[in-house]
Amino acid sequence: MSTLQAQPLRAEASAPAPVDYRRARRAETRSGYFFLAPWLIGFLLLTAGPMLASLYLAFTDYNLFRDPKWIGLENFEKLFNDSRYLQSVKVTLIYVLVGTPVKLAAALAVALLLNSGRKAQGFYRSAFYAPSLIGASVSIAIVWKALFSDGGIVDLGMTGMGFQPGGWVGDPDKTMPMMILLATWQFGAPMVIFLAGLKQVPRELYEAASVDGAGALRRFWSITVPMLSPVIFFNLLLETINAFQVFASAFIISGGAGGPAGSTLFYTLYLYIRGFGDARMGYASAMAWVLAVVIGLITWVMFRTSKGWVHYSGETK
Amino acid sequence: MKNRPLLAAAAALCAVSFGLTACGGGDDPANASGEDKAAAGPVTLNYTWWGSQDRADRMTKAIAEFEAAHPDIKIKPNFTDYEGYWQKRATEAAGGGLPDVMQFDFSYLRQYADRGALLDLKEVEDGVDLSGIDDSLLPAGEIDGGTYGVPIGTNALAMYYNPDLVTQLGVEPPKEGLTWDEYNAWIKEASAKGGGNVWGAGDYTGVLWLFDMKLRQEGKKLLDEDGKLAIEKSDLKEWLASTDELRQSGAIVPADRITQISPMSAMGAKLTATEMSWDNFLAGYLKDSGAAKIEMLAPPTTDGEKGLFVKPSMLYAIGANTEHPEAAAEFVDFMTNDPEVGEIFGTSRGVPASKAQRDAVAAEGPDAQVLEYEKAIAEDLDESPAPLPAGFGTLEKELLRLSEEINYGRMSVDQAVEEWFTEAEAALEQ
Repeated sequence: MSTLQAQPLRAEASAPAPVDYRRARRAETRSGYFFLAPWLIGFLLLTAGPMLASLYLAFTDYNLFRDPKWIGLENFEKLFNDSRYLQSVKVTLIYVLVGTPVKLAAALAVALLLNSGRKAQGFYRSAFYAPSLIGASVSIAIVWKALFSDGGIVDLGMTGMGFQPGGWVGDPDKTMPMMILLATWQFGAPMVIFLAGLKQVPRELYEAASVDGAGALRRFWSITVPMLSPVIFFNLLLETINAFQVFASAFIISGGAGGPAGSTLFYTLYLYIRGFGDARMGYASAMAWVLAVVIGLITWVMFRTSKGWVHYSGETK
Repeated sequence: MKNRPLLAAAAALCAVSFGLTACGGGDDPANASGEDKAAAGPVTLNYTWWGSQDRADRMTKAIAEFEAAHPDIKIKPNFTDYEGYWQKRATEAAGGGLPDVMQFDFSYLRQYADRGALLDLKEVEDGVDLSGIDDSLLPAGEIDGGTYGVPIGTNALAMYYNPDLVTQLGVEPPKEGLTWDEYNAWIKEASAKGGGNVWGAGDYTGVLWLFDMKLRQEGKKLLDEDGKLAIEKSDLKEWLASTDELRQSGAIVPADRITQISPMSAMGAKLTATEMSWDNFLAGYLKDSGAAKIEMLAPPTTDGEKGLFVKPSMLYAIGANTEHPEAAAEFVDFMTNDPEVGEIFGTSRGVPASKAQRDAVAAEGPDAQVLEYEKAIAEDLDESPAPLPAGFGTLEKELLRLSEEINYGRMSVDQAVEEWFTEAEAALEQ
């Protein structure tokens, strides 16, 4: 719009006290970049640069100290013959496929409870969000490890109820449920987003449905889920991407080794072990790029399929 | 026009931040000139080591001694467990940010020195006094003519047993000079009496140095002169399979128990009555287990051959990127040669390499025990290992990991052997 107005004004330059819109706009652009600069510099130096470097390194044999040696696709070929790599893919996929839906279900369930307009809502909302605030920290992973150890609270409690779980930390079959529980417990962020979404669902829809005799379950599936689908989609996307990149909790709980018996050898943890433990940085870079491409593909697929089930209000089909 | 106040504010911010950097740079000139560091106020050295709580306590005391003697140098200490230690160092080395002074292991020295990450101590004038250190030990820190590590102690492999636990189990203590078969039978008997709470031993076949010792007993070598593998797959297979029966009958500590007590050792956690490891672990074992006494004897033998050897237990190294080479050398010298430091550590860093510190070790209690042990085995020693090739640390780590997989029943011995060879060859190639 401003361009259209600027043109005729500039044409009659001899007019009294002309406003130089072009200069003003250039100044505006300049200050725009100026304010963008901190982020832009950070992005270029700390994200884009290293990413490009790692793309190059992925095709080299690089041990952190010597100059990288170009070896073409050898790293990528090796990946698929590396049993530990395949193990890490398996562990990560289970975590993503089971952990993400469980976490989102928990988040939605709590959001529904908090949306029912009871008293002290603010308090409950904060209380349920708290684990997510502290969840990413090292201390929680340490506490988690203590809770699930032999003779820890979980072991004692379940033994009291007649189960004999023993320590979860040392049992390769139980470390995955433990990791998923840890992730699920940190449902705060998707919960808050769900809650915001729920507030947007028009009351009238529920009232009309009630008048027509729809039960609570029916109302949930026919009103809440479709109306919430953009939010569900958003959460699903974010949580899936996050789950692929889980690192800190597994690192702490397994002491950085991905044990016991490779049961917590998450993709990024194995990447770290190869890159920094064995100093095989070329190999680790190849792993990183495979992960980035796979996450990209999955995101793309999710966007493509979302058209079938995500309904944006105001959209008519 | 509207954004003028904003620009002004931004300019002000810039001015402030430039001011800050200027202030920050204020104490730098001393570093730049190099000579007059001492005059420019205290120098701070980053110092890092791996080890148990016992070592940390002793280290705190030793650092206090040093700082009292050198008011112009401050030490900033940091410590972790062994595995995490090398991951951190690799990251730092790649970024050129190694600590000034580091405790170093024989297995990793070449890897770092080869890549120019460590300082050649010969380049530091009046650096570390090496005159008190036994000539046979010094080569351990020398690589291609440079001195990159100062050996501060020696250690040898030993077998420990906890006499209280042995009595509690109601078995005879293991005897000096027993064979591997006899030891395994002893483990079986002890574990049977332990009733699932205490075992005779853990699965020792995951420890590379014990495998090395067994190979020496058979007259073989793990590595040849070029630092390549000199063993057959059948050698490793035989070694790993030697505890198969114990694993299957539950006569060694279950893997999940080991996982849960980590990073403590099975002996430290009083899960086992015996354990084989380096002879400088005694202090740590005593501290962790709280036992009044722990006995030491030579590990099992093959046809009377002990295969024991002495190697540097640890070294000190200085990062090539240090800004204070003189101060760092001074600290290393103090930690290596000062008699009081020798008294503080006793034999917990190994039997001290420097004569001044060896003489200062109290000839009583656990320290006397370690000194006596090394004296007892001294007559029948194999040659010390040559400086280890880069990648040796991975060999140790992989064997331990694969042993864990075997003990969890996730992998057969054959698979483990194949995987170890693949990993080892790749690591040694680097």
